[in-house]
Amino acid sequence: MKRFFTIWMISWLVCAGFSSYAQQTVTGRVTDAAGAALPGVSVVIDQTSQGTVTGANGEYTINTPAGAEVLVFSFIGYSTQRVSIGSQSTINVTMEEDIQQLQEVVVTAFGVEQQRRQLGYSVQTVEGEDLAKTEQPNVVNALQGKVAGVQITSSGGAPGMSSRIIIRGLTSLNPDGNNQPLWVVDGIQIDNSTFESSGTPRGLSNRVADLNPNDIESVNVLKGAAATALYGVRAANGAIIVTTKKGQSGKVKVDFKTSFGMEEVNNHPDYQQRYGQGFSGEYQPTSFWPSWGAPVEAVQVIDPEYRMYETTKEVMQTGKSTDNYLSVSGGGENSTIFASLAYFDQEGVIPFSDWQRVSAKISGTVDFNNKFSASGSMTYTNSGGMRVPHDRIMETLQYWSYSQDPNDFENPDGSQRTYGNSNPLYTAKYWTYEDNVDRIIGNINLKYNITDWFSLNYRIGLDTYSDQREEILPGPLGVANEVALSSTGFIEETRINSRNITSTFIATFFHDITDRLNATLRIGNDIFDISRNTIVATGNEFVVPQFYHLSNVTEQLTSQFILQERLIGLYGDLTLNYDDFLFLNITGRNDWSSTLPADNRSFFYPAINLGFVFSEVVDMPDFVNYAKFRASYAEVGKGTEPYRTQLVYTTTDPLNGQVGFTRSNVLGSDQLTPERTSSLEFGLEANMFDNRLGLDFTWYKSNSADQILSVPVSNATGFTRLILNAGELENKGIELVLRGTPVRTPDFSWDVSVNFTRNRNTVVDIREGIESILVGSQFGYAGATVSMQLIEGDPYGNLYGTSYQRYYENGTPENLTELDEDRSIVIGDDGYPVRNSNALVIGNAQPDWLMGIQNTLTYKDFTLSFLIDTRYGIDQYSQYDNFYAAFGQLDYSLDRNSVVIFDGVRSDGSPNDQQVWLGQGIGPDGRNYGASFYRDDFRGVSENFVKDASFVKLRNISLRYDLGQNLVEKTPFRGVSLSASANNIILWTPWQSFDPESFSAGAGGNATAFTGLGYPGVRSYFLTLNLSL
Amino acid sequence: MKILNKLTLILASFLVLTGCEDYLDINDDPNNPTDAPLSGLLTRTSFETGDNVQNVSTVTSFYVQYLASPNPGSATDIMDNVAYDQTWFELYDVMTDISDMEVLATEEDASHYLGIAKILKAINLGLTVDMWGSIPYDEAFFAQTITPAYDDDQALYTTITGLLDEGIGLLSAPNTSESFEPGNDDFIYQGDTDLWIKAANALKARFLLHQSETSSYDPSAILSAVDNGFDDASENATVEYFDVQINPWSAVAINNASLLLGGWISEQLVESLDGTTYGYEDPRMPYMFGATDEGEYIGVENGAGRGDAAEQGERSYLVEGGYYTSRTSSLEVITYYELKFIEAEAALADGNSGRAYDAYLEGIESHMQTIGVPQGEIDDYLSNGQVSVGAGSLTRDLVLKEKYIALFLNPETYNDARRYDFQYEDMTVAANLNPDLGGNFATRIIYPESETQRNSSNVPNVTMLDNIWWDQ
Repeated sequence: MKRFFTIWMISWLVCAGFSSYAQQTVTGRVTDAAGAALPGVSVVIDQTSQGTVTGANGEYTINTPAGAEVLVFSFIGYSTQRVSIGSQSTINVTMEEDIQQLQEVVVTAFGVEQQRRQLGYSVQTVEGEDLAKTEQPNVVNALQGKVAGVQITSSGGAPGMSSRIIIRGLTSLNPDGNNQPLWVVDGIQIDNSTFESSGTPRGLSNRVADLNPNDIESVNVLKGAAATALYGVRAANGAIIVTTKKGQSGKVKVDFKTSFGMEEVNNHPDYQQRYGQGFSGEYQPTSFWPSWGAPVEAVQVIDPEYRMYETTKEVMQTGKSTDNYLSVSGGGENSTIFASLAYFDQEGVIPFSDWQRVSAKISGTVDFNNKFSASGSMTYTNSGGMRVPHDRIMETLQYWSYSQDPNDFENPDGSQRTYGNSNPLYTAKYWTYEDNVDRIIGNINLKYNITDWFSLNYRIGLDTYSDQREEILPGPLGVANEVALSSTGFIEETRINSRNITSTFIATFFHDITDRLNATLRIGNDIFDISRNTIVATGNEFVVPQFYHLSNVTEQLTSQFILQERLIGLYGDLTLNYDDFLFLNITGRNDWSSTLPADNRSFFYPAINLGFVFSEVVDMPDFVNYAKFRASYAEVGKGTEPYRTQLVYTTTDPLNGQVGFTRSNVLGSDQLTPERTSSLEFGLEANMFDNRLGLDFTWYKSNSADQILSVPVSNATGFTRLILNAGELENKGIELVLRGTPVRTPDFSWDVSVNFTRNRNTVVDIREGIESILVGSQFGYAGATVSMQLIEGDPYGNLYGTSYQRYYENGTPENLTELDEDRSIVIGDDGYPVRNSNALVIGNAQPDWLMGIQNTLTYKDFTLSFLIDTRYGIDQYSQYDNFYAAFGQLDYSLDRNSVVIFDGVRSDGSPNDQQVWLGQGIGPDGRNYGASFYRDDFRGVSENFVKDASFVKLRNISLRYDLGQNLVEKTPFRGVSLSASANNIILWTPWQSFDPESFSAGAGGNATAFTGLGYPGVRSYFLTLNLSL
Repeated sequence: MKILNKLTLILASFLVLTGCEDYLDINDDPNNPTDAPLSGLLTRTSFETGDNVQNVSTVTSFYVQYLASPNPGSATDIMDNVAYDQTWFELYDVMTDISDMEVLATEEDASHYLGIAKILKAINLGLTVDMWGSIPYDEAFFAQTITPAYDDDQALYTTITGLLDEGIGLLSAPNTSESFEPGNDDFIYQGDTDLWIKAANALKARFLLHQSETSSYDPSAILSAVDNGFDDASENATVEYFDVQINPWSAVAINNASLLLGGWISEQLVESLDGTTYGYEDPRMPYMFGATDEGEYIGVENGAGRGDAAEQGERSYLVEGGYYTSRTSSLEVITYYELKFIEAEAALADGNSGRAYDAYLEGIESHMQTIGVPQGEIDDYLSNGQVSVGAGSLTRDLVLKEKYIALFLNPETYNDARRYDFQYEDMTVAANLNPDLGGNFATRIIYPESETQRNSSNVPNVTMLDNIWWDQ
């Protein structure tokens, strides 16, 4: 059986060949210790990617060029063997089973490489190759569906737009709190802030978008407090540890990749195409009302030219992107070097939106002698683009009449073409916002092995960037009869300068206590220093038209925000290893945070974890290759944001030489104490059936208590918010990772991996006197506003809003908090459903579960992989739908002139039988129906717009063809591959509008339940060519 | 040797640790000061008081049909159940800063700052109580509790009068501080204490008049307050605006000109002026708002929207320029002409129709002069027998009709309207009226969501038909 199911390793890599030299042919047979043939063993010439695999009988043949010295035999579950070729033409090899081989290496806190086997907590690794395959420019998006316990939501489809990542649920009750994980690149912390524009939303980037996914070797996701205990306060939300590519000793390698992509909006609501401009069913060609007018055929009688446009579809274009990447790497015996250059350019589906990223990276390692080594890397990135005011564009698109051409947007004199309403495309083109980020991330790493049991490691890293932004809203152009975008116009210049420094010192001691028991002790110090200075200069009202400069305005305003935060940590970490199957790890860390009051700024927290490879000591069934149990308990402390310990005043812009002072709306506290998260985690790992089935199950529970919250309070207190320690949030969940290889033959293999995530959270406690914490709310017309509130005992993410009144036989219960959708709707005396204006829970914005299924099918030189990503049981408020209802734009409103009987019961419980009209004005029955059912009633009920936003997406599919060895030999290349891929091309969802994944809060915002009038989500297609030399 | 090593180690650790403490002492906010000067607080509160008057007026101007929305069924226009959170916030924000100014002025013994603070607080508190009735006051402004209790609106009227009396007392006496004297930081009177005293008396008259439907109505008390009030319109309490911070109504007019529609005039107001309602024309329209491209004055029916009228040129709306809507127009808090109409109404109730009649005519004339009507047109208007009806024929209806015109855009008119039960000639509820009102005018606004959500145990349960205490 073992022989039948044999892995076929990294087939596409095995296609090398340059052979202008004299060649020699080597043949042989590979067997296991029992003498049975091993098919599928990889046989590669060292220092090249040239190689082959063994056939069904374990035999192989390989041409080795002159100068080839060593053959490398490798196979999962066995030790890799290196055999000198010399003058041999037959090399038979016996592979040794390798227990250590299962000891996959992962990168844990502070870049410490550890064997997965030893860990008492869950860590999941994603290879860089799998990230690059998605063609997603933002590494956050590239991780979608690939890691259990991780929820990633793209905030929209704009080029460079931010994406949000949450590990094991939200940990902060603070509406503005940071719930996203720490990002560490090559051992240093990098900034992943998202600074949205201060005005209308622009869909700016989360700063991790500056990383080029092509430069990434691997990503390790540290999920729980035990995994991140050493990072302390900074990683209370988990940590993403990124390792970038390094050079390798041997031949110089050159890799080039070029990719071209196209994208389009992946889902539209169903627009109606019958009723055009006007109100009350009347045709009014200059009316504000886009689609309450007369039916198209009635107007065409008067005006044969009259037609309808699907405005949103007509305005959206096909976006384009190109990605070019070149890397060079190599090295000698004692040093290596890696360098890369990349250029990415994307145009979005909304015209005039674009984003570019240029990056250059160099890294190197030097071993000075056996004891002392150094490494370092530096990456420069320039990124930014034109960020259109998508929120304004999408709104004006709703106001823009369906009977007016939306693409003809500009008059010859450069002024706006309009029949009255703001023109969406003119707004897109001229209300500009451009960002330009220059960023340098660098680190130097020194390692000194003083003795074989004692080593020192010091690392210092820098992440610094300047983010320059310019927004221009033109005033009148000074041409006749223009309708200006603004009567004054303004220019806003923003300069954000940020600098993060990380310094890490670790001393490591090894000691063999007995033959079987050894200990590793690490003692370390960690200093982290953030400094940021933001200056915003605004100029209002241009003096000379069309000259956009800060000097050409009647009013100039400036503001400045300085932020400084420092952290010092001291920690110890002891790992005991008993006979390589039982591992105990104890850590303790003390942090000093500048953000807390001096008396409370020092805090200590412990963690302990246990890993037990019980398959080593307990008799297991034969099919079990490896089984481990994990348990951990950890506490993590947390500081807060700077400047929350005082009462301050803010100044207002000078007026007539006087500066106004006003008390800050937020009251700080000098009594703040650190937040504490304690978490408990149990896990089971197993590999079965010759390691063809892998399982990793985790159960966790984490409680974040003493949270430092900015609690909204009655304005009558003199404040809008108080900062205080209040409240506890609990997250409980399971994660399941399954990896399998259902089919494995020399020519064909199928690998599948499943990541399943389920998280439940509860607001355990909020300080007395605070009934609820408003995380956010979004406007809805006529009282349809929906809010996300935290209430004790409820889960995070409950959505509150208005609903239709439901019928209760014994009267509506007094303390009704939740809408019971299954009950009959109460119909009023007017024949319309009765609106319940008391806010009830009408949905929840946290998913019930998430699942990603990745499949990789390999046949000879072809590789097909696809990822199905599912998000289930999540509700969202569609502001789009609320607006569409106000203007009668979707196809359900085609029944606007019907007479209906609403399904429901009268207040006495009897069935409703009253006929009503849905239209505007005087109905067929002579009754005045006002502005119609949809405008007067439907749009004022939040329930109509809070909908199930679950989806199943074909997140990514890619087909790759590697040029076979014979063909490659005829080219100057070491390898050639061509791939076609697509993202989000299939979307199954009950949601009826744009892609339900988009939300308006941006990656940093916690009010994720609201679509806003966001940048529509997209699907994309790519063609990619990879060449290696 | 060993001991020496140990000592060195201890010393080194000590240095490192104390160094750390300094290294971490960076949490004093570098962006914002922890103290505010009296002058900065007066700058802010005197200026923002003007904005608050305007904020409230953006609601009341629709309620009393000065303005009407160009769109049908607009929420404020149809007196919908809107929670005016922002207005509430602004009022409390300013009252909070005034409270800090009171504390600081008391500490510094700056009696004139304290006196102005009391009067400013009375203005803002009055605006708040008149819109919402009972509101938090005794437990407010200093975060004593996060759920402040509500004070009864009638009791708060005593507080308001008390604040005005305290202000008058403090400003009537010499300043107790040599170093703290209000001046250009006062955007209402530039530190002129005499004018502040007159304004405080005018305000007293206003708040006393609000009680006209209650048993505490005392016309003679009003008249004695009037006696200590303004002597002419140059003494009006108004807030200055500047090119860098333009008059908020002018901003409405400018926005409207660039099609952010707003500031459209109600048909009710136009018809009160153009002769439709009263049979004679009032010359003030060109000085208050704009005409159509045809030079006509056409209003919009409240709640009904502009119908098929174009966005521009076919209806009357606020236009930039003139007394109310220039960029640097001052914004009226309380005026001489309001005081004259208060006097007229109180004197009528007091049986002194002669005094009432003189005040009535003076109110009309001074308003007309203030907004720039030429004297000839003023004289023509005042000589119209339907205006100059003679002392014997003067009615409260006539006084309130003229007061309605003279208090254009002032939120005080909503107080008058409620006392008067909206009995203005031909005034009817808006089209598409909020169905919850059952065909009636709203007599208050509902509490903001910030209160119903964060202070629900205290906030009274009200509808828009519940009355403020003095509206009976």
